[in-house]
Amino acid sequence: MGSLVCARNVSKKFGDLRAVDDVSFDIAKGRITGLIGPNGAGKTTLLKAVLGLTDCQGSLSVLGLDPFRQRKELMKNICFIADVAVLPRWIKVSQLLDFLQSVHQNFSRGRAEELLAQTSIKKTSKVRELSKGMVTQLHLSIITAIDAKLLVLDEPTIGLDIIFRKEFYGNLLSDYFDEERTIIITTHQVEEIENLLTDVMFINNGKIVLDSPTEDLPERYVELMASADGADKARQFKPIYERDVFGKKVMTFEGVSREQLRGLGELRTPDIADLFVAKVKGAAA
Amino acid sequence: MIRTQLALLRREFWEHRSMVVVPFVVAVLITLTALTGQISIDHKDLLDLGIVGATNMPDNARAAALSGIMIALSSSFIFAMWILTIFYTLDSLYAERKDRSILFWRSIPVTDFDTVLSKLLTAILAIPLITFAVIVATHLVFLLNISIWIDIRGGNPWHLIWGAVPLLDNWTATLALLIALPLWLSPFIGWFLFVSAFTKRSPLLTAALPIIMLPLFEKILFGSNVMAETFFERSVKMPLFSGLNNMELLFQEGEGFENFANAKLSLLSLMDFSGFMTNPQLWVGIIVCGLFSAAAVYVRRYRDES
Repeated sequence: MGSLVCARNVSKKFGDLRAVDDVSFDIAKGRITGLIGPNGAGKTTLLKAVLGLTDCQGSLSVLGLDPFRQRKELMKNICFIADVAVLPRWIKVSQLLDFLQSVHQNFSRGRAEELLAQTSIKKTSKVRELSKGMVTQLHLSIITAIDAKLLVLDEPTIGLDIIFRKEFYGNLLSDYFDEERTIIITTHQVEEIENLLTDVMFINNGKIVLDSPTEDLPERYVELMASADGADKARQFKPIYERDVFGKKVMTFEGVSREQLRGLGELRTPDIADLFVAKVKGAAA
Repeated sequence: MIRTQLALLRREFWEHRSMVVVPFVVAVLITLTALTGQISIDHKDLLDLGIVGATNMPDNARAAALSGIMIALSSSFIFAMWILTIFYTLDSLYAERKDRSILFWRSIPVTDFDTVLSKLLTAILAIPLITFAVIVATHLVFLLNISIWIDIRGGNPWHLIWGAVPLLDNWTATLALLIALPLWLSPFIGWFLFVSAFTKRSPLLTAALPIIMLPLFEKILFGSNVMAETFFERSVKMPLFSGLNNMELLFQEGEGFENFANAKLSLLSLMDFSGFMTNPQLWVGIIVCGLFSAAAVYVRRYRDES
């Protein structure tokens, strides 16, 4: 099977601003892709294009459909949580279930009730009576009960405390994810989802600066905490980024083998947050 | 399609409880006023006199009087319904953007067309039907209440009330009026929906301004009153009653009352349905409403809410 999301030269302009600038990528079935970028990088715009909420230039196909023109068809197989505030505050939990049952052919009410039974959410409660964490639980339960092929999460855990965040991702993996399902996720708290991701995509100024399976990262990137005399030698290998940590030089290399750097200091695979900073700041320098 | 539409209509009903609350409050007010009015009447003999008077009335006049009371009761509901419709339509596509729940609604396999259609149907069909049900209930409570009173004072309510009142005729006419009114006013409804879809703040003000300002500009710039007259005629002169406008009918004066009496107390026979349905003004209005609604669909679909 081909890719689930296929983007070729996708752009989205707002006046002179190129929010998404000539972007091409593929996302295959069964992957969890982290879309990572600073504020205003174009993440949300790109996700909106994928969800058919905004039009764009170039060719974009999601589940084989044109997302903007075939949004209704697409929404049968896509779910998204944009952020926690979007469930209507006046609705009762039971009404939400009733409504979804009648408009969403892939929604399983039984499954949703099963998941809600594990929480302290009452079916008679209105969304406005629930805490922020409970609203997210509710939203995730609903979405887990929809047999969707693609789930898009845009800052799903913003404003939640650490316990809810951990629980959210725990439930996401245990209740929702399987090899038939695909997830795209953006978040500022990269560290928390680092172990979840099978792929990372960095976006900056509307362009994709890195698109790689996480398992390939150790091969391509290495971080060196240089010893006192190793720093100068290491610079010959052209680090993409260099920073100071407790007076020591920490350098990030791309496409340089660990063999070549051996003996110049401590080597490790950069974590995603560091790698992101290296790619974005290094490119700017 | 129909299943989705029904679910969407139900969702409007859940969100906007005022659809039920407003007519219900009017009903309670009317009923309470009637009850306190009776209790506070000191002069029981006055009431007795009324009963005697009613007993001696010709059937026609008794039916006319009862019909008149029912029309008066209905008119407060119709007034409240129009206010409710204005606020409902102005809020319908605005609230979901304000609280950002539009992102949730758009994550569900429902088209923007279906969503806007459900709001339109709520305004021109659901709200009138709910109002109608409450009107019927209020009429019944009201008549029952006088019946009990009459019975206590020794009158014959079967003869005076239930045998005389043209219930079916009155209700059918009321229902027809409730359906016809939103259709006639549909250009306003379409305009309100459109405003509710695009405005960033204060839908009421945004909607009212052009209605007030455009005729004013026209007057200043061209010295003419075309727009003012169009808006005014659209507001009050519904061509449902042959030759009468709604106001005249309600106050039953002059020609209106004669027509009413000549029509053998049938409100229905005063209504000119084929004339109404074939009135070009009605269809122009419906087309205008359609255009505004289409614009609302377009805005909801193409506008980026980020």
